[in-house]
Amino acid sequence: MKLDDLVQLVGDNLFAHRLRALLTVLGITIGIAAVIAVVAIGQGSQAVILSELETLGNSNSFQVTVDTSQGEAPTVDTFNLEDANLIKELSPAVLEMAPISFSSMVDLRLPQSLEKPLMSQLVGTTPDYASSANLTLQNGRFLSTADVSAHARVVVLDADLAKTMFGDSDPIGRQIFIQDNPATVIGVLQQQTSLLGAMNLHYTYVPITFAQDILNSRVIYELSGVAVSKDVLPQAMADSIKILNNRHFASTVHYTAQSMEESLGAVSNVTSVITMVIGAVAAIALLVGGVGVMNIMLVAVTERTREIGLLKALGARRRDILQQFLGEAVALCLVGGFFGVVLGAGGALIVAFFAHWPPLISGWTILLAFGFSATVGLFFGIYPASRAAALSPAEALRTL
Amino acid sequence: MISILELTKTYGVGGAAVSALDHLTLEIRDGEFLSIMGPSGSGKSTFLSLLGLLDRPSSGQYLIDGRDTVSLSDDELASLRAQKFGFVFQAYNLMPRYRIIRNVELPLIYAGVERRERANRAEDLLRMVGLGHRLSHKPTELSGGEQQRVAIARALVNGPAVILADEPTGNLDSKSGQEIMGIFQQLHQDGKTIVLVTHEPKIARYAGRTLHFLDGSLVREEINT
Repeated sequence: MKLDDLVQLVGDNLFAHRLRALLTVLGITIGIAAVIAVVAIGQGSQAVILSELETLGNSNSFQVTVDTSQGEAPTVDTFNLEDANLIKELSPAVLEMAPISFSSMVDLRLPQSLEKPLMSQLVGTTPDYASSANLTLQNGRFLSTADVSAHARVVVLDADLAKTMFGDSDPIGRQIFIQDNPATVIGVLQQQTSLLGAMNLHYTYVPITFAQDILNSRVIYELSGVAVSKDVLPQAMADSIKILNNRHFASTVHYTAQSMEESLGAVSNVTSVITMVIGAVAAIALLVGGVGVMNIMLVAVTERTREIGLLKALGARRRDILQQFLGEAVALCLVGGFFGVVLGAGGALIVAFFAHWPPLISGWTILLAFGFSATVGLFFGIYPASRAAALSPAEALRTL
Repeated sequence: MISILELTKTYGVGGAAVSALDHLTLEIRDGEFLSIMGPSGSGKSTFLSLLGLLDRPSSGQYLIDGRDTVSLSDDELASLRAQKFGFVFQAYNLMPRYRIIRNVELPLIYAGVERRERANRAEDLLRMVGLGHRLSHKPTELSGGEQQRVAIARALVNGPAVILADEPTGNLDSKSGQEIMGIFQQLHQDGKTIVLVTHEPKIARYAGRTLHFLDGSLVREEINT
């Protein structure tokens, strides 16, 4: 049998039972659409999360902390104020290095204000942090080395905090109280991206020495560095750990370093696992559709037993019958796959449009969906088709 | 030339086994017009199935032009069947969703014949059976006699040497039946071998030789004049 004849026979047979074919196609459509939409939405949201996270830090940046996975926590002896400068001087791979001490929440208020204080995360650091955390200023200046050495009572606010506290008036030079410590505003950061704003995280940056005074604690939690280039990033991390180990040989903690990219990779892994899990659930819908195809093909074989007998009497070989029934199953799935791609991609585009995500439907996803639906057709069609092909013509003709 | 030796077909197993055909030995010459009569259950339809390679015998030998068919594979049987035999059934067995020309073309589709040639051959045969003007009709729009003529055209389209007809006039009134038998006579004169199963003596007499079956055995043979 020629291919065009096979296509025509398959088309004729499906058209003869169009309602049934349509319903079967619907099952596959829903399955494929679910898979496409979930994967596209997953990839879209992942891209958004990653791009937002990338704004949080320099791509050459890295953090040095203690091994929290071992339950270790930094103490007063873990890092000291000189470590960051020393690492920067000793390692040619390290461009910037800033110590950070922070508190979860401090309250901020204006002088003589009776309003409820604002809650903010306090970050005590040095000038280098601006480059490592990709901080850009909207107004004023960032912390200086002189501020750090002088325990200067100065503060840099993020845009939201500045707006809430001072409205439209210029905050530079104004006084605020941080946990009842007076401080002068010297800078305001650029507005952060939407995702972090939505998480309602606000940051107040002060010289690390001032932060230690406010918090009454000498503990430095981590060092945040920037490597000279991407190529020397591993060396920058290794150097930092080596220097720290030399300087704190008595310390029992283990220093670890993680690059920004590694942290992003971890986030990316989480979101792709979520996508995979939801995708697997969607794939179950596809499986159900496949079972529908098998069911309908088995009905077709039973119904058309006599026809199969006749076709064999007219010279159809086993292979011809097999091809015909398999062709019908695959055709059902491919048509379902087509509408599924349209529906799923459409749904994903609509979601992307309203969520302001990049529309992420790759050719691969579509190709995969078609491949998958053809495979579903083959897999669920092979049993009914081989049953049809194996029928003895004489027996098939005897059935009514 | 068809030679059949001790051909047996048994259904079921052990004590419940029933012989539908019991050690039949027979020769059918090329170009012969043979009719087979017998009550239902006499094995005549089973015999026709075996003859047309639609079924395999339980034992015995079946040679077509000296070639043994018992050892052939399913696909070899299918292609031999397509070359050698054309089938005509009591209930016509046309595909109701195809136009009649496509019904006649169907065997050629499985034989892999080109579209144009297929259409030509089908049209010629439909003309020959007097339906040249109804090529695009669906089978249901035709009378029983006309449908059976379509079925005969379909049986002839592969150019088979042997036509096997199972009660071809069984569903027809006597006038249509006579028309159909007229076509069979014509085919016989053109040199086709015809084996026709019937239970009507009047129809059986169109053949040169009539075999009478009973309980799976050939009990009587008569030459018609």
